[in-house]
Amino acid sequence: MTAPAATFRTCPVTTRRIHDQAESLVKINAVVSVVALLIGAIAAVLIVLTRWQAVHLLSATWFYRLLGVHGMSMLIFFIVFFEMAVLYFASTALINARLVAPKLAWFSFLLMLGGAVLVEAMMWGGKADVLFTSYVPLRASPAYYLGIILFAVGALIVTGIFFANLVVAKREKRYEGSLPLVVYGAVTAAIITVITLLHGAAIYIPTFLWSLGLMHVDPQVYRMVWWGLGHSSQQINVAAMVAIWYMLGGLTIGAVVLNEKISRSAFVLYVLFISMASAHHLLVDPGMGPAWKVVNTSYFMYMAVLASMIHGFTVPAGMELGMRLRGYTNGMFDWLRRAPWHDPGFSSLVLSVVVFGFVGGITGVTIGTEQINIIVHNTLRVPGHFHATVVSGTAMAFMGATYYLIPLVFQKRVAFWRMAQWQPYIFAGGMFIFTLSMTFAGSFGVPRRHWDITFSQAPFDVPFSPVVDLVLAVVAVGGLLAATGAFMFVAIAVASVFFGKPLGEITKGTAMVGVPQGITHPPVHAADVDARNAALHAPGRGIMGPAPGTIVLVFVFLAAFILYFFVNWKILSFVWKIG
Amino acid sequence: MPDPVKPDEAAEQVPLGQRLFDNVFLLLGLGLLVVFVLYTGWGLWEILTLPQATLP
Repeated sequence: MTAPAATFRTCPVTTRRIHDQAESLVKINAVVSVVALLIGAIAAVLIVLTRWQAVHLLSATWFYRLLGVHGMSMLIFFIVFFEMAVLYFASTALINARLVAPKLAWFSFLLMLGGAVLVEAMMWGGKADVLFTSYVPLRASPAYYLGIILFAVGALIVTGIFFANLVVAKREKRYEGSLPLVVYGAVTAAIITVITLLHGAAIYIPTFLWSLGLMHVDPQVYRMVWWGLGHSSQQINVAAMVAIWYMLGGLTIGAVVLNEKISRSAFVLYVLFISMASAHHLLVDPGMGPAWKVVNTSYFMYMAVLASMIHGFTVPAGMELGMRLRGYTNGMFDWLRRAPWHDPGFSSLVLSVVVFGFVGGITGVTIGTEQINIIVHNTLRVPGHFHATVVSGTAMAFMGATYYLIPLVFQKRVAFWRMAQWQPYIFAGGMFIFTLSMTFAGSFGVPRRHWDITFSQAPFDVPFSPVVDLVLAVVAVGGLLAATGAFMFVAIAVASVFFGKPLGEITKGTAMVGVPQGITHPPVHAADVDARNAALHAPGRGIMGPAPGTIVLVFVFLAAFILYFFVNWKILSFVWKIG
Repeated sequence: MPDPVKPDEAAEQVPLGQRLFDNVFLLLGLGLLVVFVLYTGWGLWEILTLPQATLP
């Protein structure tokens, strides 16, 4: 049987073959993703203006309604639609392969879109005021659960098409040997997607039937299985984000892969162990025993933490080595000082790595410790943590990738170029203030998902430190700054895609407004790259090896990690006195 | 002088670890197995075998 006819174009920049059907699906998924980001960001502004005690904008009903809208739009629709674009891109363009089932792919896109629209309509219409988690026995309209099921089925089909693309590409000899590392990262994301969606099916189908009055759902079983979806979906983000880190490093400054075995081993650790982190959410639940909690959140989950720390080292070390091989060899940090900080793809990459690692990673491991979790659970420290991972980490990386996708896939110049160069700093700066102040407020016991912490009209009084009002104001300022960065991104993406100038002819070595430096000035290693590489790996360089600057940064990270971890044990000893 | 390596033999010389890592469906199976046994299965067993609380 012959393969169906497929139309390809050759990318003038990367010289890769691009299948037109795959490219169209990358485009449409990316566009819908940005629309979801816009909806989620509008909800975010209204929510932070409500948690700002002095403003307290929304009514209780609309606060909780928009909190659900924000969660679904950002954590599911924005992220998953973009991940679908990543899966299509990685399994076709990056290995010169074709999309094997275009009609099925479009059908799955329509399923996802229909499901997402249905869910949004239910939430905005007040038929699903059950927050993102929709914990049973909170009951939404059956159409809400149906929408999620449709969306999940669509995403599961896309994941199946992704694996089929890889099989056919191998059979058609589109690549030799192992898959490229970036595609391997996408494989990891796809496997975690399957784990996530199977948990989603296992819980949302019974819950849909429960909403129709056809069966009973145990609340504790719901929580346990639902978090197999809820948390694992964010681990898809982590894998996709790391794959994008490797891709952006190579595109922007010629980063190299320090060690293929190490990086791939870290991805395999994600496949095997990262989904167990779902148990974090149940650390204070009475239904689960300590052995289950400790095994899932400590012994095995630390394997996934190890994987993140490996990537957190190999990505910047690969960037440093790449820069040194290009001739930036002076001192410890000349490679970093001379990097293209005005390229929004590069700045997004660095800011994503730094905030994800220093804020999201350190807080995540600390609050995932069973004993410490008792002083963290349901406080603002939890959203403080996951906004650092999912927003400052994943969303920032996706934004950085978009600045390269616009010229490479959409074949347009990036609109509002000067604004695009500032956007990553404004977004990441806002999120940095937002996440740290949220964490600080949570340390005072301020609850998450709470409309009124003054407990007005309640028969009891819960006094907070007066400083909490100030900290919550800082949360709002950081949130508004980050939302400004998000709106800037949406404006840039929409203007570029729908109204942007065509890319036109690229003259290598000549800067072009609206085209990232990695495209106009592709990073090239020095002519004597082998000799330089050998010298950088000489045994005489000792423990600092070929990437001494990164080694220093790693020790700064570890010092921050140790300090934060033990400060939390000290705080725990104050509130949980024994003896 | 050693014999030239034939293509089939070259394929066999790929290290075992690399062949395992390259097997996408093996990774998929292992990933599903670990989480469904240690998280979901064990978790369900914990909840379903929980003794009924006695009322005061």
